[in-house]
Amino acid sequence: MEATGSTNRITINIGPVHPSTHGVLKFVVDIEGDTMVKVEPEIGFVHRGVEKMAEGRNYNSYTPVIDKLDYIAALNWEVLYASVVEKALGVSLPPRAVYIRTLMCEMQRIMSHLLFVGHVGEDLGNTTLFMWGFRERELLMDLMESVSGGRLAPMYVSMGGVYYDLPKDFESRLLPVLHTIEHRVLNEYKALSYENDLFIARTKGVGVISREFAYKYGLTGPNIRGSGIARDLRKDEPYLAYDKLDFDVVTEKGGDAYARFMIRINEILESIKMMRQLVKDMPAGEVKTKVPWFFKIPPKYTFVRQETPRGEAAMYMVTNDDTKPYRLKIRSPSFYVMQALRELMVGHKVADLVAILGSLDPVPGEIDR
Amino acid sequence: MESLDRIKGRFPSMLKDVPSTNDNEAVVELADKTQLRKIVAEAKKYFDLLFMLMVVDRPPKTFEMNYVLSSYSKKDLLTIRVNIDRDEAEIDSIAGIFTSAEWEEREAYDLFGIDFRHHPDQRRILLPEDWPGHPLRKDFEVTEEVKNWTGLDMKF
Repeated sequence: MEATGSTNRITINIGPVHPSTHGVLKFVVDIEGDTMVKVEPEIGFVHRGVEKMAEGRNYNSYTPVIDKLDYIAALNWEVLYASVVEKALGVSLPPRAVYIRTLMCEMQRIMSHLLFVGHVGEDLGNTTLFMWGFRERELLMDLMESVSGGRLAPMYVSMGGVYYDLPKDFESRLLPVLHTIEHRVLNEYKALSYENDLFIARTKGVGVISREFAYKYGLTGPNIRGSGIARDLRKDEPYLAYDKLDFDVVTEKGGDAYARFMIRINEILESIKMMRQLVKDMPAGEVKTKVPWFFKIPPKYTFVRQETPRGEAAMYMVTNDDTKPYRLKIRSPSFYVMQALRELMVGHKVADLVAILGSLDPVPGEIDR
Repeated sequence: MESLDRIKGRFPSMLKDVPSTNDNEAVVELADKTQLRKIVAEAKKYFDLLFMLMVVDRPPKTFEMNYVLSSYSKKDLLTIRVNIDRDEAEIDSIAGIFTSAEWEEREAYDLFGIDFRHHPDQRRILLPEDWPGHPLRKDFEVTEEVKNWTGLDMKF
């Protein structure tokens, strides 16, 4: 802690190791009294050179690296990476593989949003909500394990489909779990979060993102849907099986931390709706198109973007007639969120820092790549 | 793409079409890098989201800058490609036009060593300040210095 310039202006460091920074993030905050007047986010503490690693591995060996990029929603990124390579190769998927991928993407989205709900609870001192978030997520974790063998890093998506078919009893195990989660999110969470006076007092009107602000910093995903911008790549540019599903794009008007929390709550319910449709309409057949382990892709530029739980993620791959990418650029939505924080935080109290950060749901692994 | 035709109309014979392999994407190549700011400012009228900035290292001579622009309301993508000299890697910053470009440019500076003129705050972002070299360059070598780097000399 040091005093700078005027007598009552103090610079404090929050992070890099701090329970409320959701990983290794650092904020250099200038405060006057209890109000933040300047915020400088610092990132890069978990930079592993993921883009550089892509240039040294063949296409298949790179999937485990992608798993560790966004460790909260690894499967969405696996699907994104596989989609880029398949698009460059010109491989089409069997219908069952498309459905399984969509199903697992939505399952991963619920898991990610449940963790978000828990973390916001913990940030605001509500440890029960934290435990509940993990409790519901665990049910899906078990299912993920029975499907892929992995929990956090599933390594399930292969080039041309998925590695294994769903277990035989998957549907009969999934549906009760979905019912449980739906019931608890709608009824139990209500009292501790979105209809709780303390929770509302901490989140309403905090960290308001306007439409102009979102455009200025290139924000995407649930964070802008909380500001009333109905943009969702699942609806606007349908990929996988999303064009066959009946679902709504959830929006809220407030633009504050509370609205962003409600977006996630409602997206959990939408995803449950989608998963029920997917299980019902699941086609039979193969789960994988045969793609050789080593292959070369002729020189071309391939661009794919998809909606991950944190916003619009994209990969731009440059190939050069080799068994590995020449260049793979990854757009991580949280990277743009972090940039916006220096303006979004200013004027709020220090205690609101964790509420704002939590409501934007950043993951350091994805920011730093 | 109608919006692209309008941009081209404003700057005749400056942008060259490049065939694209992606749906909804138009790629144009800009030969004169000093005109970048003007082109991007004009393009911002139709494409209000800077989606990403991809730098591709093409040794021995060029860095290929790909500014991927998108829009909040339309599906269209516009990629503006500018080739710059690898030895004197510098280009105008577009952070004044797209605020979101600021960190993307810091990242390009950090990992490729490209100098962005008139950038408001150009310093390393992902790597530590005393990191030797720019790792995404194709000629980056993992030297003894890199291997033995501990970060202990860093000032906190």
